[in-house]
Amino acid sequence: MTFAELLSTVFENLGRRKGRVTLTAMGVVIGTASVVVLVSLGIGLQRSTTEQMGAIGSLTQIQVYPGSGDSGPGMVVMKSAGGGSVSVSNVPSDQKLLTDVALRELAELPGVTAVIPQEYAQGGGMFSFEGLEGWGNTVGIGVKDMSVLGLTAEAGTLELSHGTAVIGHYVPRNFFDPRQRMGQEQPEPPDLLGKQLTQTLEKWTDDGSGGGESTRKMLQFRVVGIIAESGGEYDYSIHIPLADVTAINEWALGRRISRAKEGYSSAIVQVADVNQALDITAQITEMGYQAYTPQQFIQGLNSVFLIIQAVFGGIGAISLLVAAIGIANTMTMAILERTREIGLLKAIGATNQDVLSIFLGEAAGIGFIGGLGGVLIGWLGGQIINVLLMAYMVGQATEGGGPPPSMTIYTPLWLSVFSLVFATLVGLLSGLYPAMRAATLVPVTALKYE
Amino acid sequence: MPTPFARMTGLFKTYNLGGATIQALNGVDMDIEAGSFSVIMGPSGSGKSTLLHLLGGLDRPTNGRIEVGAQMLDKLDENALAIYRRKTVGFIFQSFNLLPTMTAVDNVALPMRFARVSRRERHEQALKLLDKVGLADRAYHKPTQLSGGQQQRVAVARSLANDPQLILADEPTGNLDLSSGASIMRLLSELHKSGRTVVVVTHDARMTRYATQTVHIIDGQVVTEAEYEAVLASLDEEMGEEEEEQ
Ligand SMILES: Nc1ncnc2c1ncn2[C@@H]1O[C@H](COP(=O)(O)OP(=O)(O)O)[C@@H](O)[C@H]1O
Ligand SMILES: [Mg+2]
Repeated sequence: MTFAELLSTVFENLGRRKGRVTLTAMGVVIGTASVVVLVSLGIGLQRSTTEQMGAIGSLTQIQVYPGSGDSGPGMVVMKSAGGGSVSVSNVPSDQKLLTDVALRELAELPGVTAVIPQEYAQGGGMFSFEGLEGWGNTVGIGVKDMSVLGLTAEAGTLELSHGTAVIGHYVPRNFFDPRQRMGQEQPEPPDLLGKQLTQTLEKWTDDGSGGGESTRKMLQFRVVGIIAESGGEYDYSIHIPLADVTAINEWALGRRISRAKEGYSSAIVQVADVNQALDITAQITEMGYQAYTPQQFIQGLNSVFLIIQAVFGGIGAISLLVAAIGIANTMTMAILERTREIGLLKAIGATNQDVLSIFLGEAAGIGFIGGLGGVLIGWLGGQIINVLLMAYMVGQATEGGGPPPSMTIYTPLWLSVFSLVFATLVGLLSGLYPAMRAATLVPVTALKYE
Repeated sequence: MPTPFARMTGLFKTYNLGGATIQALNGVDMDIEAGSFSVIMGPSGSGKSTLLHLLGGLDRPTNGRIEVGAQMLDKLDENALAIYRRKTVGFIFQSFNLLPTMTAVDNVALPMRFARVSRRERHEQALKLLDKVGLADRAYHKPTQLSGGQQQRVAVARSLANDPQLILADEPTGNLDLSSGASIMRLLSELHKSGRTVVVVTHDARMTRYATQTVHIIDGQVVTEAEYEAVLASLDEEMGEEEEEQ
């Protein structure tokens, strides 16, 4: 029999027993639909999470920190002024520091387009602006123009110069009125562009006996630019030239800082190609530094989502398995009922293979029909859940005042195709044993069957 | 003497029924000439159907050889045997064996499906064959809408679907009234006259009128007509005695 002939025979035969076929296919519909809905949910979760994460940092940036060697610990004591706390970090003698030489070394790695040192200001205190108080990290950026970091300005410029600051998108929101009482409406976030911010720095001079004296210093920046929302740390930081931060830190530590000897506390390595980021991160780690790229995180997250999808898919697959038993049962019954028919087919010249193909085809056909229904219902179900979920979440979001979260079930085409193929295969496999029994019947025995 | 169309030599068929062995065929030798009309007669259970099934490739002998044309049936593999059934043999059953969900014309066309004949050609050919058995006006009836005689005529048309040389009929008139039976006999005779080799198993002595050869079987063995009559007579006697005893 040709394939087309087989197909028409199979569907003719299925059409002869519509009721039975529909009932059996129903099991497959439910199984396939649950696979589609559950895996779509997993994919939707992954998509919305990854979307939000795209924001965590540019995928072409690698955060590099000094390497923590593992032998001969020395001690560097840093006095932080803020709360008078003393932070101690182990500095091994063979620690890989981010000195200027080291930065040049990193810059020479193939694929690296820029290496930008970064330094947090020590002893950062409250910001004030026209009676409002605010907070934020003060970060020194070792580059003239912050657009190198893939950022864009929402207002003003991204170019840094002495005495100026470029602030993140959410920094103005962190300003509040300290005189306001609980429950009172806070004022609108101030427009800080072109304005003068004052920061109060504070350091604690230890007198050795637990007591001490605090010294304050006022610092002024003029805001020259606001960075468009990046979704990352930049949104909450106040960026000033690296030299200005060095000056602040020298004051806080009470001594001069030699970048050649001590290095920077971190650097951003910008790479040309997203696909190289993981490779270059590994190379930098090999060199003895600590290096992180958001891609590592995404990779880790992706494997978590893969597990979630596998678990969800597995739950759906169990219902498909139950459906498979249903198909096997129906086919076995059909072959018992149609034994005489099989005998006749063989008597008029059907080969074992013809009979096998017909019965396998019927089993696969039930799987296919059920799969088609399941994919359709699963997709439709996902859409309905989406609509309900969105309505619910938008309601929640407007109450809370934040932007609406995006958590939607997503059914990609490949999932529909895969589920359909899978359902058909399940049908085929469950028909295998009954069809083989049918095919190998001796014609006379089959014809005499009552 | 030319070799016959079909030759069966030393055929044995043994069935195992829960420990007991049944000798359905007990060393049958039989020749069938090309273009002949053979009638096989014998009491119920004598092995007539078994013999016809072996000749039609529907089953395999326990022992012995079957030669049809140049083919040794006992040596053919499953596939080749299926093709032998498809191309060389047309089988007619006592119980018709039509598929109840298909129309007459679809039933007749069914064997051609496995012979890779196109759908249209199958249909045309099946209509012609139905016309030949006088059922052109019943082509689109389901078997349940036909009388027994009409159903058997559909079955005869189906047996001709792939234009086989050998027509095998196992008690084709067994389920029919006298006149329907007679018309089936005439049909078979026509097939014989058109050059086909026909083998019919029957209880009906009227069939021997058309026969070129009549073979008698008793207890799985071929016997002469005289022996056959003697055995039948003794069987009748036994029956009579049993009746007297009662
Ligand atoms: N499948 C079978 N299993 C066991 N015994 C069988 C089987 N088929 C036929 N027989 C036995 O073989 C003998 C011959 O049967 P059969 O050829 O059908 O006889 P006939 O057609 O002459 O009436 C009978 O005794 C019958 O019971
Ligand atoms: Mg019989």
